[in-house]
Amino acid sequence: MIELKNIEKYYSNKGVKNYVLRHVSTTIKKGEFVSIMGPSGAGKSTLLNILGMLEEPTYGTYEFLGEDVTTLNERKRIELYRNHIGFVFQAYHLIDEMTVYENIEAPLLYKKIGGSERTSRIANLLDRFNIVAKKDLFPNQLSGGQQQLVGIARALAAQPSVILADEPTGNLQSAQAEEIMQLFQKLNQEDGITIIQVTHSEKNATYGNRILHIADGVIKDDVQLTGAKAI
Amino acid sequence: MFKLNLKIAWRNLWKNKVYAAINIGGLALGLTAFVLMLLYINHEESYDSWTPDLENVFQIREKHDFFTPDNKEHWQEATDSRMASLVRENIPQAVAVTKVDQDWEWSAGYSVKVDGADPILVKQIKDADSSFFSVFNYQFLHGSAEAALSTPKSIVVKESIALKLFGTDKVLGKTVKLLIWRSDPGQMFTITGVVKEPKTPQSVSFNAIIRTGEQDHDPENISNRHFCQVYAKMNGPMDSTALNKTLQSVYVNFKKAAFAKEKRNYKDIYKNGNTPGLSALKISDVHANPTLKLSWKDKLKPIVGISIFLLLVSVINFVNLATAQSVQRAKEVGVKKILGSYKGQLLTQFLLESAMQSMVSLFLCVVLVEMVLPAFNQNFNVSLSFWYNPQLFIMIVQLLTLFVLVTLLAGFYPSWILSNYNPVSVLKGNYENGLKGIALRNILVVFQFVISVTFIIAIGVMYQQTKYVSNKDLGFEKGNLVNIKSNYEEKFAERLRTVPGVKYIATSTQVMGNVFNTPEVITYKENKIPVNSVTVTMDALQALGVQVMQGRLFSKDYKQDTANSVVINASAAKLIDKNPVGKTYDLLRDDRKYTFQIVGVIKDYHNEGFDKAVMPTIYKVTHLGGMSTTNNMLVRLDAANSGEIIKKIEAEWRFLYPDYPMTYTSMNDAFDKILEDNNRFVNMIVLFSLVSVSLSLLGLFALSTFVAKRRTREIAVRKVLGASNIQIVNLLNKSFLILVVVANLISWPIAYILIKKWLDGFAYRIDMPVIPFLLATLVSIVIAVLTVSIQARKAAVTDPVNALKYE
Ligand SMILES: Nc1ncnc2c1ncn2[C@@H]1O[C@H](COP(=O)(O)OP(=O)(O)OP(=O)(O)O)[C@@H](O)[C@H]1O
Ligand SMILES: [Mg+2]
Repeated sequence: MIELKNIEKYYSNKGVKNYVLRHVSTTIKKGEFVSIMGPSGAGKSTLLNILGMLEEPTYGTYEFLGEDVTTLNERKRIELYRNHIGFVFQAYHLIDEMTVYENIEAPLLYKKIGGSERTSRIANLLDRFNIVAKKDLFPNQLSGGQQQLVGIARALAAQPSVILADEPTGNLQSAQAEEIMQLFQKLNQEDGITIIQVTHSEKNATYGNRILHIADGVIKDDVQLTGAKAI
Repeated sequence: MFKLNLKIAWRNLWKNKVYAAINIGGLALGLTAFVLMLLYINHEESYDSWTPDLENVFQIREKHDFFTPDNKEHWQEATDSRMASLVRENIPQAVAVTKVDQDWEWSAGYSVKVDGADPILVKQIKDADSSFFSVFNYQFLHGSAEAALSTPKSIVVKESIALKLFGTDKVLGKTVKLLIWRSDPGQMFTITGVVKEPKTPQSVSFNAIIRTGEQDHDPENISNRHFCQVYAKMNGPMDSTALNKTLQSVYVNFKKAAFAKEKRNYKDIYKNGNTPGLSALKISDVHANPTLKLSWKDKLKPIVGISIFLLLVSVINFVNLATAQSVQRAKEVGVKKILGSYKGQLLTQFLLESAMQSMVSLFLCVVLVEMVLPAFNQNFNVSLSFWYNPQLFIMIVQLLTLFVLVTLLAGFYPSWILSNYNPVSVLKGNYENGLKGIALRNILVVFQFVISVTFIIAIGVMYQQTKYVSNKDLGFEKGNLVNIKSNYEEKFAERLRTVPGVKYIATSTQVMGNVFNTPEVITYKENKIPVNSVTVTMDALQALGVQVMQGRLFSKDYKQDTANSVVINASAAKLIDKNPVGKTYDLLRDDRKYTFQIVGVIKDYHNEGFDKAVMPTIYKVTHLGGMSTTNNMLVRLDAANSGEIIKKIEAEWRFLYPDYPMTYTSMNDAFDKILEDNNRFVNMIVLFSLVSVSLSLLGLFALSTFVAKRRTREIAVRKVLGASNIQIVNLLNKSFLILVVVANLISWPIAYILIKKWLDGFAYRIDMPVIPFLLATLVSIVIAVLTVSIQARKAAVTDPVNALKYE
């Protein structure tokens, strides 16, 4: 589903190229649960942003669902956001002026999903994440873990094929983090959603079935995990 | 999505309610000034648009030098009455041509007497020929356009006048007696028509049209030639350039033929730069192009400028606050983009938000306009209304256009900035993009302050000039002096002299409020000197209370005073001789030489506005060398109970002239009237300045709040590092202070140029003062520093821990 070939990314500073990513080539198949790991400044977030088409690589080709996306126009890219990609962030990034319900509803509105379908989907998600009681609260009235649940619910609302998550549990306590990871695993295994996450925690990485180790912008190691943790 | 965006917009407004109120309220104020001006402009533009028929009606204008203040040739509305038949005979497209009286501003009007009732004065009763209603298609309530003026001694009245005179509009066939001056025996007129007041104002306005028969013939003799206005109706739309070409050549031929008859040489008459001229002007353009005076467009120009600036100031507040707030909205933009929102959708969302605010402003503005209209109407002597405006539809279209314009102006830039946020940098917590607007914001703040400082300087200078003018010695005593609108008549004067408390009865052709200047050229020691000549009665100068500088005033004790004595004013003395008393000069008129002797010099006295210099003037009692009379009868009263005395004077008047009511003005009122235009302008500047300055300050207040808030973390860090509160206040002040200082530097030359231009309009004026400039700078800096400091202090004294905890 995702095919990276020779991706490079550098920032020029006074004529000097500072490479963040070098010769990154890899393939991620549908249904995989990939964790990207590595030291701080290694380029993990950059890689994830390139996967999410938020940043453009300076060199290389990137095919998403068989389509070359490095030359994609803005409208097409937004179509991909609407239908295929869900983002989850370390800082949650919920819209402060919207209630929980409205935050989850927003992507459905962009996707122009009909009223009744929308209501049922949102009800479903609220139910599944146990946040029905919070639906009319604003983000600043929730705990961090609850906010992240809403963030994930929002990412799932449009029923994407891929979820990109940059340190989704970075701001959470371990108990909450575990809850989120289990949720990811369940989504991956039961709904077949492809998940790509950046994490610093070995433990979190074990919920997935593949780990990409990055250091200095280069993929150092690509480990397949067998016998994923039981749910 | 729309509903959700609306909710977000509302929540954001609520969260920032103080700023939203400043934005919306400020914009409403700016809009109000602008809409009032629009109303006024619409009113002026609507002249002569009450029937589509007027498209084909033209006013005929002739170039000549009668009735001009400077004795030079000008295009004029009053033409030789023969122009009517000239047009009728030479322009085949003209289906109807009419002659009608011009407006006589000095006239008190006709006294209208209906059987058994007291006479009342009615202005704007105009004498016309039988074709008036063929040219002007008025709607007749009673009678008909064809028949109304077909016989002489008929009168057609407006509905309002019929109601005023008879209490009903069913007045066909009734007769009224009209008197044009107090001892006029009067003529009877039969009402042959009642017309409805048209929807829009008319440049040929009237209360009644009469046909005396005067307009039926065109005297050819040069001395009793008749001047009137001529209007022609064409059979269809006509190109005025072609029409004017024809008129011009027809006119030149006419003049040549006329001069040949009078045995005068055409070339001689048009030798000193004068040219013959006849032209036609579409009636819809007449009101905007008056002859011999400033058009409303020219008068309104400074006010249009000011109200546009005011609107800009409020729009700038809007833009500045919105760009400042945009930082708060950055995350929303970033998130929405990755959820799949198009940039266009975001742009629309933010534009809609500003549209919402300008909509509220617009509603507020309509309410405000309704509230201030009465005061506005009174100040500008108009009767405008909003809801009952005949052009309500046009108004609404204009308002909607204004709404769209303001929304785009205020909303587009912030919306553009917002919708362009790059999601990655925003979500990384990198708000650097938010700084993009800063340069523009600074420019706008400077612009705002340039306007405000210029206004403050203007107020200062205007205040000083106004004070100077109203305290200026007029050169005569204006208290207890009244001017009766009437020609001087000895019979009446004699009776008045017996009224106790009346000190002087006199007349002069030069009285404040009604000045008639007769220019002449005198010869003194071979020098030709142009002067202004004024005819007075023996004790007119005493009645005015002028100050004698040399020699004496006129007196009955000197026989020669009715023969050839003159008194001159100081300006004339400057031109003639330093010690003129006893000297003589000559006046050549109609090939005869008259000699006058100067007996006294008086101090210049003012009889017109301070925009005009007092002319070198010669006062004479004698009729030698020609004289003129005007509707002035000066009465100097005893200081005590002048009201009583005037009542007695009125009784005397009624005894002599029962059919014509007396009208008079006090010199105090005449003086106030002269200052009126200027005072009105100054008041308006003061009002607009106050609004503009407070809007700018509110804007600055809100802006500094935002900046302080945005820099909360920086401030907290600095405090943790050991900065004192004062240091932090200074830190915030510095950035704004620079802007205010720059604004001051820019506004000085601008204010200087504008105000110099205004001052130059006065013949009597103060020197450009420095103090208002310094004061404006001081005031603007102090107020700006105070405003910013309040906010900065708040930010500085908050506990740094709180600020650092969240982030
Ligand atoms: N706009 C930029 N200009 C220059 N260099 C940049 C820019 N953005 C990122 N970098 C550099 O790219 C490198 C990789 O950054 P990235 O955010 O991908 O690291 P990371 O692996 O996610 O680190 P962390 O675990 O701390 O989040 C860093 O060295 C950073 O300095
Ligand atoms: Mg990172």
